Amino acid sequence: MNECLCSFGSEWLKKKRTASSFLIIAGSLLIPLIIIIARTDSAAGLGAANLQPHIWENLYNRNWQIMGTLLLPMGIVLATSLVTQLEYRNNTWKQLFTTPQSLTTIFVAKLSVILVMLVEFFLLFNVGIWLTGVIPGLLIGVPYPPETFPWKAFWNSNTKFFLDSLPILALQYGISLRIRNFLVPLGVGLGLYVASMIAVHWKYGYVIPYTYCDYEFMGVTAGKVHTHSWAAGYAVLFIGLAYLFYITRKDKA
Amino acid sequence: MSNYCLETTNLSHQWNARTPVLNAINLRVPTGSIYGFLGPNGAGKTTTLRLILGLLKKQQGEIKIFSWQWETHRIAILRRIGSLIESPSIYSQLTARENLRVLQRVYRCPQTRIEEVIHLTRLTDTGRKRTGKFSLGMKQRLAIAIALLNDPALLILDEPTNGLDPEGIIEMRELFRQLNRRGVTILLSSHLLGEMEKLITHTGIIHKGQLLFQGTLDQLRNEHGASDLETIFITLTKSNHE
Repeated sequence: MNECLCSFGSEWLKKKRTASSFLIIAGSLLIPLIIIIARTDSAAGLGAANLQPHIWENLYNRNWQIMGTLLLPMGIVLATSLVTQLEYRNNTWKQLFTTPQSLTTIFVAKLSVILVMLVEFFLLFNVGIWLTGVIPGLLIGVPYPPETFPWKAFWNSNTKFFLDSLPILALQYGISLRIRNFLVPLGVGLGLYVASMIAVHWKYGYVIPYTYCDYEFMGVTAGKVHTHSWAAGYAVLFIGLAYLFYITRKDKA
Repeated sequence: MSNYCLETTNLSHQWNARTPVLNAINLRVPTGSIYGFLGPNGAGKTTTLRLILGLLKKQQGEIKIFSWQWETHRIAILRRIGSLIESPSIYSQLTARENLRVLQRVYRCPQTRIEEVIHLTRLTDTGRKRTGKFSLGMKQRLAIAIALLNDPALLILDEPTNGLDPEGIIEMRELFRQLNRRGVTILLSSHLLGEMEKLITHTGIIHKGQLLFQGTLDQLRNEHGASDLETIFITLTKSNHE
């Protein structure tokens, strides 16, 4: 356990000043920032808007509209690839594999860093959504929305989005661990993302592992198929395959 | 307990059926020695070192380090080894101290060790400078600092003086001697025969995947009737060509 924690700490330090850590902060706050600017700009109707009964739900939907269908999948593709590519770019796999830790520990530590980064992304994004309700009012002098902040609904919806994004993370992790060329995981990610956009209304669209965030946001159903279970299944499968390919690699560096 | 810190038995490797790289290498690195692993480009030096460190999957033969089988004691062995293989492995967006901190966490050695190796490799003035902006010589020093971080019993260094200026080479030579006096066994691979001659106690000469000679420098000189390493090296590799 201690070995895993030390390994995680080491991996976490590595991402300091990297593009992936910047991407998490910038990507999670970009849409809330745009909405804050847009709401501040339409000052006349802001007071009435804040009094609407479902103001938080409206803000939530406005923020997730672009996030769920575009930025989240693309952000995961980029951030996951960047974390693993850090070792290729700096030629550090050989150093890492000669440290006294098991290969499994290295695999788990890297995956954990990416998962924690995703949690960080969700937390920052939700703080951003809350700020879209608060900051414009503070700047213009309009009262805070009287509706109680729907914590539970936010939690439930975020959990589903998190689960739905895991197959993307797992597949991207496996590919970028295995392949040195940064363009390959990026190309696969982009290709599957486009395929998912096309396939989301197709009756068998749920077989494409990148569609689940679209299903969740658009409210599209895939018949009687439980898409969250499919997402969990794909995530487990991809992580298993990623581990298998990683552990059987003949040339470690 | 063997007198050898590192032993390989019939270590062979091939990229495919037609291109063997190593042919039954029996390396014997005595404990407490400075062993120079010499050979021309493509002789199989780096492949041997990568196999020893587990960076390449072993196909045939046996590797023992500190009398332990590699397969069964991988982590215990790596805990006592410091290494530098080919180019320096450094995170370019981090400072020298941050790079060392990344590895200090994994080795779980005292934090004070970071300043010790920074001092040993004369990187004290690098401050907040990111390593991406370091000269090749500075990167090489940092890579050596990383190899020394866990206070290893065996140092495996592939071309450690690459990119160092003459003053840096002399400093490193002194550092390696100092470490060796403290009991560290050093396995060095280099093309700089003149430099190696000043430092090593034992040598292994590899050519086309075959170990042509192994023993002390004196044994090498006596067997081949020449005093300088360069002449003997050329004679040996030429005769192997023929």
